[in-house]
Amino acid sequence: MADQTKTLKVKVASPYQVYFDEPALSISGVNKTGPFDVLPGHHNFITLLQPCELVIRMNNNDQRKVIRINGGLMHVKADMASVFLDV
Amino acid sequence: MKRLNDVLAEQQSMSSVVGLTDVFEGLASMRIAQVKDQVLSSQHFFNELWTIYSQIRVNKQFSYGRGYVPPEVNKELLIAITAEGGLSGDIDQKLISWMLSTYDKDKQDIIIIGHHGALQLAAAGIPYKRYFKLPTHDNNINVSPLISLVRLYSSTVVYYQSYVTLMVQDIKKIELKQAIEEASKKASHTGKVISDENYIFEPSTADVASHLENTMMQITLTQTILDSKLAQYASRFRSMKNASEKADDMMRDLKREYNRTRRFIADERLKEVINGLSKIGAPS
Repeated sequence: MADQTKTLKVKVASPYQVYFDEPALSISGVNKTGPFDVLPGHHNFITLLQPCELVIRMNNNDQRKVIRINGGLMHVKADMASVFLDV
Repeated sequence: MKRLNDVLAEQQSMSSVVGLTDVFEGLASMRIAQVKDQVLSSQHFFNELWTIYSQIRVNKQFSYGRGYVPPEVNKELLIAITAEGGLSGDIDQKLISWMLSTYDKDKQDIIIIGHHGALQLAAAGIPYKRYFKLPTHDNNINVSPLISLVRLYSSTVVYYQSYVTLMVQDIKKIELKQAIEEASKKASHTGKVISDENYIFEPSTADVASHLENTMMQITLTQTILDSKLAQYASRFRSMKNASEKADDMMRDLKREYNRTRRFIADERLKEVINGLSKIGAPS
């Protein structure tokens, strides 16, 4: 069970718009291998995203932000997950 | 001398022209501000991507998103971005002439964006590989079909209109790879290396690098298209400003003519009254 008090900074942006830029408990997406979750303390990670719904869990009350994407790139480093959406 | 009603009608229609040119002027300046904001925002996105790319790419050449696959066409691709309509003055003509001054059909292929440029190439009898319409909107410009063609060629040069100031527009050419490296100078360079040893890559380092190259090419091409559109808006703004000033002058002339006509009619009536009076008062 993951530590529910720790957060990671999540930023989801396209070249012309920032869709989300806040701390969150987790972010989930889909890459070539399948669905995956990123939690605080995740290893450094770069992945290409498939068209999917990005699900960001914002707090323990199960408040979620869902962003439908066509693809992109996720970069995870030092409790910061940046998603660069395809143009 | 014009009739009073005719002068009045002309004055009313001219006042509509003044109003319209003011609206167009306002719209053009608003779109200029919007496009400028977009370019700034995409530059920030580009910088973040370049920072990652420069850390992954160790002694590796920019390969136009092809990875290790050589180009299919051993030619240079020329892309000319021109206006869609014919209201762009002679700047498109200058752009096309500049491109054709060094054009060699055996070594280069042309892709034209904008109907105005396509017409000029057709008039000059120069064949082009593909024609794209200049996007009417400024948001979410899809350059993927263009990028898939760019990837086939060994190198790409883009000719475009550039915004200098509201009153000055220029024509420029850039080599795509060089333009990306130029743009990257604004990004931070940490000197750190991202490799399989300290990162998990999915699917692979090469795929991620190719994806980054593709995205950066898309941003650079979109910025070039936006710069062209910015120059076109500025050119339209300038035309509208000139038209608005001319319409104001005509309004002043018409007002003067209206007053003169009114005075002339009043004078004529006065003359008729005096003539009538003098006829009544004249001794028989």
